[in-house]
Amino acid sequence: MFTDSISSLITGLPVAAVSIKAQPLEFASWLTNSIFVGLLVAGGITLFVRRGMKGATLVPNRQQNLVELIVEFLYNQVVGIVGEKVAPRAFPLLATIFVFVLFSNWFGLLPGVGTIGWDTHHADYLSIAHVHTPLLRPATADLNMTLAMALIFMIVWVYITYKEVGVIGFIKHTFGAKGGLTGIMGLLISFIFLCVGLIELVSIAFRPVSLSLRLLGNIYAGETLLHTMLTLGEKLGLGPVLSFITSIAFPVPFYFMEILVGFLQAMVFALLCAVYIRLSATHEEGDAH
Amino acid sequence: MDVISGIFETFGVEWPLFIAQVIVFMLVYAVLQKFAFPQVTSMLEERRQRIKEGEENLTKIKTDLAAAEASAAEIVGKANKEAERLIREATDSAAAAGEKKKQEAVYEANQIISKAREASQLEHEKLMAELKRDFGRLLVDTTSRVTGKVLSQEDQDRINKDAASQISL
Repeated sequence: MFTDSISSLITGLPVAAVSIKAQPLEFASWLTNSIFVGLLVAGGITLFVRRGMKGATLVPNRQQNLVELIVEFLYNQVVGIVGEKVAPRAFPLLATIFVFVLFSNWFGLLPGVGTIGWDTHHADYLSIAHVHTPLLRPATADLNMTLAMALIFMIVWVYITYKEVGVIGFIKHTFGAKGGLTGIMGLLISFIFLCVGLIELVSIAFRPVSLSLRLLGNIYAGETLLHTMLTLGEKLGLGPVLSFITSIAFPVPFYFMEILVGFLQAMVFALLCAVYIRLSATHEEGDAH
Repeated sequence: MDVISGIFETFGVEWPLFIAQVIVFMLVYAVLQKFAFPQVTSMLEERRQRIKEGEENLTKIKTDLAAAEASAAEIVGKANKEAERLIREATDSAAAAGEKKKQEAVYEANQIISKAREASQLEHEKLMAELKRDFGRLLVDTTSRVTGKVLSQEDQDRINKDAASQISL
């Protein structure tokens, strides 16, 4: 509410009517618009992959080449961060996160997403004016989805860490004193590293929150920005013709920015997950086990 | 807990929706894991293997080619030497044969000349003998006519002998 007030104060306009919550669709109350888009994205990815890899040959066609390019790029990135040994375990999830987040983010930029839906007065048919419940909402603009991905990652992270270093290894890695000091200094250092370990545990516990809220915040902000730019002319009272022109002209630069943001957020989410795995699951240099 | 519940309520987080999103995400994971990642990684590995084999074959072909070129050069060198030797031998042989033929020709020519000389000598001797005989007969006839008597066989032989000894050259 505070941010809404600040926004209104600065622009002198009412805040954009983009709900922070995913909304149930009019024709199926059990299905929200973000789950609907999630299913569409899943279908799109399935179609894209199946068409690309159906009858795959050593000499690839264009679609197969594109699928292979994406997978190879991601695999090389994952190997570069987590290493050759852990990569086969970590790659499928990290690649899925990247692909799904990327497709979901870019799906949100398609015309009609957030702008076609049911208005406040007529729930029986779709409209593009005074939309209260959009038909389509980017899956990554729903905390349910971003939290789901973050928690699934944390479960896999626990599994990989357990497989790679074990419980004892993790405790030693988190709380163990480094530097090899003995005596009073050693005790002091051990105490400090114990405190550092506790802070590390809190940091780990907050990872799902930071991962999910970062993605949600960026995509939701993008949606709100585009919606604001789309309706800016109308809200400034420029008249129907100018409002129409500005509704096309104003969002264009932000569309390009959102294409970049969509890619960067997918990359950030996947890379952070990879870094978390590296931090806990890879052995330090000189470690004998 | 109330704070967390409040945050979840503000952001619309509910168990059914959360589980539905988990299922959607797992669906994407399953699709990619079934249809994309194994196929692509095995395809890339197969292609990498093919390229590696190709590179190895290329290296082998280059080595074989270099060896074949060296072998060909060696064979050509040997052939050149052999050809030179054969030419030299043929030249020598031709020179020897020519010399032999020349010597044979000279020998045959000498033989012919010698035979010709012999024949000439024989002819000369024959002609000389005939000449002596004719000269003797002529002398006998002349003598018998000059003297008017018939010479005996003994006189004839003696006159012939004297004439022959006088005209021997």
